[in-house]
Amino acid sequence: MMNPTIELNELEVQLGGRTILHGLTGVLKSRAIGLLGPNGAGKSTLINTLLGFHSPSKGSARVLGLDSHTSGKALRSLVGYMPENDAFISKMSGVRFVRYMAEISGLPPDQAMERAHEAFVYVGLGEARYRPVGTYSLGMKQLAKLAQAIAHGPKVLILDEPTNGMDPPARKRLIELIREIREASDICLLLSSHLLRDVEETCDEVLILRNGQIASICNLVEERRANRKFLELETIGAEASFTSTLEGLGCECAVFTNGRIKVVMPDSVEIREVFKVAADRGVQIRRMNHRRDSLEDIFLNAMEQTGAPDGRI
Amino acid sequence: MAVYKRRYNSYTGSLTAGWSRFFVLTKYAFADLFKSRFFVILLVFCIVPCLFFAGYIFVANNKTLQLLMQLRTADFFKVESQYFVFMMLSQTQAAFLLNCWVGPVLIAGDLTNGALPLFLSRPFSRADYVLGKLAVLGLLLSAVTWIPCLLLFSLQSGLAMDGWIWSHLWMVIPIVLCSAIWILMLSLLSLAVSAWVKLRIVATGVIFITFFVPAGFGEMFNAIMSTKWGMLLNFSYMFRLILVKAFHEREGLVGRAWDEIPVAAAWGVLIFVCLLSLVILNARLRAREAVRG
Repeated sequence: MMNPTIELNELEVQLGGRTILHGLTGVLKSRAIGLLGPNGAGKSTLINTLLGFHSPSKGSARVLGLDSHTSGKALRSLVGYMPENDAFISKMSGVRFVRYMAEISGLPPDQAMERAHEAFVYVGLGEARYRPVGTYSLGMKQLAKLAQAIAHGPKVLILDEPTNGMDPPARKRLIELIREIREASDICLLLSSHLLRDVEETCDEVLILRNGQIASICNLVEERRANRKFLELETIGAEASFTSTLEGLGCECAVFTNGRIKVVMPDSVEIREVFKVAADRGVQIRRMNHRRDSLEDIFLNAMEQTGAPDGRI
Repeated sequence: MAVYKRRYNSYTGSLTAGWSRFFVLTKYAFADLFKSRFFVILLVFCIVPCLFFAGYIFVANNKTLQLLMQLRTADFFKVESQYFVFMMLSQTQAAFLLNCWVGPVLIAGDLTNGALPLFLSRPFSRADYVLGKLAVLGLLLSAVTWIPCLLLFSLQSGLAMDGWIWSHLWMVIPIVLCSAIWILMLSLLSLAVSAWVKLRIVATGVIFITFFVPAGFGEMFNAIMSTKWGMLLNFSYMFRLILVKAFHEREGLVGRAWDEIPVAAAWGVLIFVCLLSLVILNARLRAREAVRG
């Protein structure tokens, strides 16, 4: 049986005499996990603990079955890490920097050189690979960090705020790259961000932290699958027969004043069918809002909830 | 992930041995060092005295040349322990200069732009990191201290013949041992300074200060307290004391405090500096710093 990607068992981390993570417990099984939370929620501390930079004061954290504290070296041999802050050697050319990092990960020099070139071209910095990293723009530095994280072919890719400081086209390109990497291999992804869209576009499961506690663990794939479609209609001439026909198709309807109707549609029903019923019954649809429960709703719900006795919020 | 395919592929090839990866740091550091013309000139400058010492051995063992040069005092040319003490003193000073130039940049460059987490997020420990950087200084300083010393020892053995090597073989141990403690102390100290101070010029200045300011305080202490224990703060003097005593040489080579400071105390001081440097390195070389409060 395959190990869960991340397993947290009453994980508590104290830094500088303060408890940052308060007994986190949870299992994340998806290949692409998003880490969400407001500033100071403990996202980076959790990542640093998974990498073995911080030792848990209580409990444990496992990545692919390897304990971050006791099997740190073995765990880090599987990891590619893209830190949030600047992390480079400014006088080195981009490709030499990535080659250097790949060699430290254990690639033989010739292989490291080959992979460094490939990684640089892959992230779209092929033309700039011989320039010193210190001369790169902020977006280019982010891409160079991604290149060094993937050059040695890790099994787990940890990205801490990867789209920080990127303009919209560069952000879009980076998100596409991350999705491509995820789909092209069996790599596991842990992406920390405060941008919900980044997580929504790349991850299958999300861990939401608040004040060092787990606010929510949500499987986005299941959520998407189970998500019911909501329609808000403003109609003229809608009678009971309209709503009963929709209910006959499997929808749930709630009728309000002034012809406003809320419809919850099952996956099997398409919007076109609602129009068809309306046309058949002579009902005018003057306005229609179609929305799904987004990650934003899940996130906001998690942020609004209050603490539960088991440690989770 | 071939360049022309432009798609991601995981790596399935062979890996190098875990224990050998620290040497990657050494390799890249040497490549960077040898790009600097100044460094090459400095290295040559540090090795040049060895040629004069080699010439000395050649003259000392060549009677014809001595006659041609009309040199009378044959005793002057004896290659004995005093010769090696002089050579070691000269070369350890050269090592100090080399260390002041090379040491400050080794760690500071990685810390300035936060590259340390990239090293430590790999199967690579802080000990590996320090070992990799230490190897740079270790190899470099060895190349100007005990290696040329042993080469000249071999040269003398070859030229002198008549069993010189067997009667002087014991000198190999002080040559290696004294060089080792000096190299270790210089290397750890400059790595600690490099981890603490990020600017090269300032770091070089701090290394000089570390050697000369405590020595000055030591002298003041000696003058005020009428003692010689202040000499413990003079690291160069402590090394000289160890070296001269290891070669069973005369008092004249070290001067004051010859008998007042035991050689064990001198060893203790140098080992203490090494340990203190390790403590500083341990405090500074962290992937993430935790702010207390």
